[in-house]
Amino acid sequence: MRTRFDEQLNALNQELIRMGALCEEVISLAASALIQKDDALAARIAPLDQTIDEKERQIESICLRLLLQQQPVARDLRQISAALKMVTDMERIGDQAEDIAEILPFLNGRTLPEHIEIREMARATIRMVTDSVDAFVKQDISIAEAVMASDDTVDDYFVDIKNSLISLIAQNPTEGEYALDLLMVAKYFERIGDHAANIAGWVLFSVTGEKLTPQEGN
Amino acid sequence: MTKRIFRSICFVAIAVFLASVALFLCVLYDYFGNVQQNQLKTQAELAAQGVENAGADYFEGLDTGGVRITWIDTDGEVLFDSEASMAEMGNHLEREEIKEAVESGYGESARYSVTLMERTLYSAVRLEDGTVVRLSVAQNTMLTLLLGMSQPIAIIIAIAAVLSFFLAYRLSRHITEPLNRLNLEDPLNNEDYDELSPLLRRIDAQQRQIRRQAGELRKQQEEFEAVTENMAEGIVLLNTKGVILSINRAAAALFDTTRACVGQHMLSVNRSREMSELLSETERGVLSEKTVELKGRKYQLDASPVSEDGSVTGAALLVLDVTEKERAEQMRREFTANVSHELKTPLQIIAGSAELLSNGIVKEEDRMGFYTRIQGEAQRMIRLVEDIIRLSHLDEGADEMKREDVDLFALADETVKALRAEAESAHVAVELEGERAVIRGVSQLLQSIVYNLCDNAIKYNRPNGSVTVAVKPENGGAVLSVTDTGIGIPPEHQDRIFERFYRVDKSRSKELGGTGLGLSIVKHAARLHNAKIELSSTEGIGTAVTVSFPESLT
Repeated sequence: MRTRFDEQLNALNQELIRMGALCEEVISLAASALIQKDDALAARIAPLDQTIDEKERQIESICLRLLLQQQPVARDLRQISAALKMVTDMERIGDQAEDIAEILPFLNGRTLPEHIEIREMARATIRMVTDSVDAFVKQDISIAEAVMASDDTVDDYFVDIKNSLISLIAQNPTEGEYALDLLMVAKYFERIGDHAANIAGWVLFSVTGEKLTPQEGN
Repeated sequence: MTKRIFRSICFVAIAVFLASVALFLCVLYDYFGNVQQNQLKTQAELAAQGVENAGADYFEGLDTGGVRITWIDTDGEVLFDSEASMAEMGNHLEREEIKEAVESGYGESARYSVTLMERTLYSAVRLEDGTVVRLSVAQNTMLTLLLGMSQPIAIIIAIAAVLSFFLAYRLSRHITEPLNRLNLEDPLNNEDYDELSPLLRRIDAQQRQIRRQAGELRKQQEEFEAVTENMAEGIVLLNTKGVILSINRAAAALFDTTRACVGQHMLSVNRSREMSELLSETERGVLSEKTVELKGRKYQLDASPVSEDGSVTGAALLVLDVTEKERAEQMRREFTANVSHELKTPLQIIAGSAELLSNGIVKEEDRMGFYTRIQGEAQRMIRLVEDIIRLSHLDEGADEMKREDVDLFALADETVKALRAEAESAHVAVELEGERAVIRGVSQLLQSIVYNLCDNAIKYNRPNGSVTVAVKPENGGAVLSVTDTGIGIPPEHQDRIFERFYRVDKSRSKELGGTGLGLSIVKHAARLHNAKIELSSTEGIGTAVTVSFPESLT
């Protein structure tokens, strides 16, 4: 009985790893599409997001079946409930990557050179997503904690970008639309960072059983 | 064990106890019954004598002391009874003991009460007048006795149970302790129980078998590891679920993990989309192949399912570094494309010019120009084809080529002289310095090295620039260096200029009549002589190419 349960838990883990890998892929695609101004890359995001949505439903049903059939307790219960919460965050990452892809055509291939921060921000966000999935794969608390800490870096980037866009509008009011679009992109990256931090939080919870208080903005 | 021993002991103890109780009861009950009967008989005779002597007065104030006395008339009517009133009592003549007494002078009997709880003993004596005196005494039956003893019996059984539990515990401990102490590592060296020796011998035989098999397994495992460990290719063995069973050093280094990942799922080591697809394909038993990028290099992942009796039992994952292969592939593709392009351009010019000439559209005075162009392009093509042939010879290797002692200085001198005209038209001064330096090599190839380097130095120079060719022997070999004061090569191009058809500035090179193959030929020729090429160049100042030939062994 227990062996079967263990097998099911392992299968759940592998599905989560697969979904995590998809999230990494979708966010890298979004960032590359933004930085390289490549529409072909952006076009690949929407189908990938659908795959992620499917994965979410699949993992949810695995979790519910496990909860009903095996009535897990203690660590197993934590693991399954954390998985249930994690897929929601992962799915949101996919959605936000798609939202970024939708905005890209409006930028008309423009990212002003002075907005180099948005690249840095994209890079930092990708790092967070990769690390949060890594933390889950390795069940490593220290990585998870590092991810939660680096959420502040991404938040700082957002504030920087916001300030520089405000001054852009002040100097050149005709750039308003472009500035707002870029702000939206930055906001989506910032949200993705939050979701990555949430995932790291759930990893912490499933390993230690402690739930850290949600950080500001989560 | 304790439980079973306890049950046995307890059962035996209680059974023995109950049997002895039964035995004693039966024997003693009989004995005491007889004794009582005899006493009763004596008493009855005494009472009979008393009645004989004193008549009815005998009963006046008589203390019977638990014994009931009845005096019965000859017709069976009760004359006196010490316990019941005479009127209520029926005729006693039919009673067994009375009948017996009337007949023989003495009679006795024993009767159970209705409830069986009591037995009454009777003794009757006939007097001389025919009347009968009967004495009776109540006696407890066996059942009553048993009921009366039930409490002590229960206590004794309880004590027996406790004792037997204690004994059973001690006994089982006593039996099992030597068993637990058995040294199974060396089963034949135990002397506690002779009864165990067949078992111990069997254990010994099994242990030897296990040791032998484990040894064989370990040997196989070590052989396998020795083979896989030193392979440059990565090997990972997976079970059907995709869990890593074994991973060699190369694969562990590639996937950035350690041996500790054995037992984990492959996806937790590498979760790329390719790996995930590969795993699901292998799970279905399909042979699959994917290319992934790891640490900036390309790797080919070959997963082949391992099947046994028609069902998939696992998979072997082979990781091959295909970076070089892919690059060579790409270079070959580029080369073919370039060759076709390079050959096509002069051919088109020739064909176009020829067509114009044959149609007669070209004016008489322009014809000369067309002829020269056709000739020039044809020569360019010849040069190109020659270069390509030379390169393909070099590709095949120089084994068949004749190696001889060549004086590099003399060779350089010849080359410089041959290029003098070209140098003069480009307003470049060429100087040769150094001394005789003999190396063993293929003279034709060495000549093309010197020629191509000098040719480039002159072509990509500036007017009134200079080229210095230096040859000197060094460490048994020789060093050739060609230094110019030309346009230089930008750093980003320096890595690539030895590639075929690679040009820093396409238009300028074509104009100067280069084929794009010169430096490639230099690279190959140098490689065949085990020579090392060093390039140092600064844009706008000049370039220095140094070719160091090592001491030849042949």
